[in-house]
Amino acid sequence: MEANKILAKAETLRGTLSTGFRDEIVKSLYSEAEAIARRAVKPVEGKRYDFDQKIDRLVTSPIAGLPIMLILLGIIIWLTVSGANVASIALADVLFAVGDWGRALFVQIGAPWWITGFIWDGVYLALAWVVSVMLPPMAIFFPAFTFLEDLGYLPRVAFNLDWLFKKAGAHGKQSLTMAMGFGCNAAGVIATRVIDSPRERLIAILTNNFVPCNGRFPTLIMIATVFVAAAFSPALTSFIAAGTVVGVVLIGIGFTFLMSWLLSRTVLKGEASAFTLELPPYRRPNIARILYTSILDRTIFVLWRAMQTAAPAGAIIWILANITVGDSNLARVIADWLNPFGLLLGLDGVILLAYIIAIPANEIVVPTMMMVYMGTGTMINGPGTSAGIFDLLVNGNGWTMLTAVNLMLFALLHNPCATTILTIYRETKSYKWTVISVLITLGTAFLVTFLTASFARLMGWV
Amino acid sequence: MNWIWLLFLLLFVAWLPRYGLLALYQDWRSARQRELVEDALKHLLDREQSARHASPESLAGILNLPRVKVTRLITDMESQNLLETRGAELHLTAEGERWAMHIVRAHRLWERYLADEARMPLNKIHNEAQRREHSFTDAQLDELSAALGYPTRDPHGDPIPSREGKMPFVEITPVTAWQNDVLARIVHIEDEPAIAYEQILAAGLRLGQTIRIIERTPRRIVLSDGETEYRLAPTVAANVSVAPLPSSEVAKAHAIPLASLTRDQRGEIVQLDEAVQGFTRRRFLDLGLTPGTVIYPELGNFFGDPRAYRVRGTLIALRKDQAAQIWVKPV
Repeated sequence: MEANKILAKAETLRGTLSTGFRDEIVKSLYSEAEAIARRAVKPVEGKRYDFDQKIDRLVTSPIAGLPIMLILLGIIIWLTVSGANVASIALADVLFAVGDWGRALFVQIGAPWWITGFIWDGVYLALAWVVSVMLPPMAIFFPAFTFLEDLGYLPRVAFNLDWLFKKAGAHGKQSLTMAMGFGCNAAGVIATRVIDSPRERLIAILTNNFVPCNGRFPTLIMIATVFVAAAFSPALTSFIAAGTVVGVVLIGIGFTFLMSWLLSRTVLKGEASAFTLELPPYRRPNIARILYTSILDRTIFVLWRAMQTAAPAGAIIWILANITVGDSNLARVIADWLNPFGLLLGLDGVILLAYIIAIPANEIVVPTMMMVYMGTGTMINGPGTSAGIFDLLVNGNGWTMLTAVNLMLFALLHNPCATTILTIYRETKSYKWTVISVLITLGTAFLVTFLTASFARLMGWV
Repeated sequence: MNWIWLLFLLLFVAWLPRYGLLALYQDWRSARQRELVEDALKHLLDREQSARHASPESLAGILNLPRVKVTRLITDMESQNLLETRGAELHLTAEGERWAMHIVRAHRLWERYLADEARMPLNKIHNEAQRREHSFTDAQLDELSAALGYPTRDPHGDPIPSREGKMPFVEITPVTAWQNDVLARIVHIEDEPAIAYEQILAAGLRLGQTIRIIERTPRRIVLSDGETEYRLAPTVAANVSVAPLPSSEVAKAHAIPLASLTRDQRGEIVQLDEAVQGFTRRRFLDLGLTPGTVIYPELGNFFGDPRAYRVRGTLIALRKDQAAQIWVKPV
């Protein structure tokens, strides 16, 4: 009874509160905190922000700001791609040697061929492939990215680029989650936690996949080297290939903005929420902490999730390649069945099949394609040289320039990998948005490849 | 034989209880009817609050319906004891007024929600709230009100009625009893006697105007809105009622938005704009943008937006639209 009386009293008193009483509460909390801080903290005499201000003026200036940003991003991606290449080959050698040794052991103890094949040529090979392709770039990219983060530079990037994102109805910090997406889209999706307004955060999550991650770079680089760069003189090859990949990345960034803009005007309609961005003072990076957070929290975390999904994918790939139907294997049959749809998109059945079984990890798209094209029972690297790959794809399997271009577009725009989808679900806690994230990307990929294919055919180019 | 089955199927689709086409149509009809009644009630309430009375013509205009249908609607509502006709005037009954207040409450709470939490642009919220205001119970509105922190005004500054249908109490004073040189807002203009009303309107005064008295003699009262002067005889002026400006409005009068602070100026935060509510306001307060704090722009962006401000020793970037909602006085 007493409680009800008090509640009723509170109800009547509420009407008499001034509208600003919440502000007053926060104000008094702050003045209390200030009083405590004054007693406990002694400011260093004459400490000013001059040095920080000078750096800030430089990195946000009209002339130097943008170039500094592009150069830093370029250095990180170059370090990642070129540095990872060497490490990936070495790691692959070791892991594949272990696989050979394991297979030999199984043969020696007399295990049936299908157990040996399933475990070593299926599950283990996929794991080894994913680890050797994924681990080195992430182990380089994430520490480099975390270094800039620790330095305090990244918020300045968001500060510089916010005007662009504002036009698309998004948040400036989305530039950071996009940059993170170059390392791994799942990590990019997790990174959207820095965006505090729900609407803008959702936009960043749904569009993160338009930035190609480490796992998709090998496909892009392979196509760029074999198809685009081959048309130029050998001296220029690596430049042309790099230029092509940069072009594809720019297309992806363009789609990020386009989709953000569309989303913020349709399903996620609304005014830009509070844009507040703290620009912390520059600090000397703590190398030990950088290595710890980037290797443990990001690299190992993402790699573990990828391995969990890659193992079953390896099993499925092996089964598809080793069940014979008539005179070909199941993979070939499914690829033939998918072929008409693939051709409609300017691709082919094998590519679509590779993308379906590579949903767990995009790293195995190329080896799977090569496996089906060459009719082998395990994933392989394909012919060793560019000319060999070109010959296999064009003369052996009817690829054209359109196939190459559309494969790059499809690799850029298609649905997120299983790890990322899982992460999107964990971050949004909503089946609806998870499904939408897949539909948006897949729909865009289908639409764009279909349009380019139809256009190329209409113009009589293929 | 087949066509008999087809006919049977058609009948089934049409007459299926609850989900059949006919049932769906009836649901739609009754929802539409309810919306019409509620829109009519709102119009009547609106007219009564501005001391005019609704007529079948004004109702037809506002609902965009032909006269025949309006007449039928009025008869319907009379039989439900929601309104009564006195000559050409339509008056709300007590029951009608209660219902109308409920709708107004739903509308204004929804506007508050859409503006604060869904961050919808202010010019869009009215239509969206118009769609949502029907089909809510009192209990649901109580919940919404509690979730929003018991707001008393909608984003346009109009009061939100309580569950019992009472408007928050606002004290009004005839302008003749108001102090000289103190800002006030016109909240009511009495329309009786008509001759005084005509004079007030002819002078150019209107509801919602912010004015102050600059001269008062036994023969006349001179009001000013800062640009124009209005002269009225005291007997006429007595029909104009005013209320004090909300304290926020008074404070704003001597402040400038943070966005217009120049690079070499420092400002002291006076207040956050009333239009900033919900999520954004909480965020600002969390960052320490409380009244009395000193703040100054430190870092521009080559595109002019956003700009970074130094406050409490930290550097915080705000977009122009955000900075325009923080009122400061230069120090």
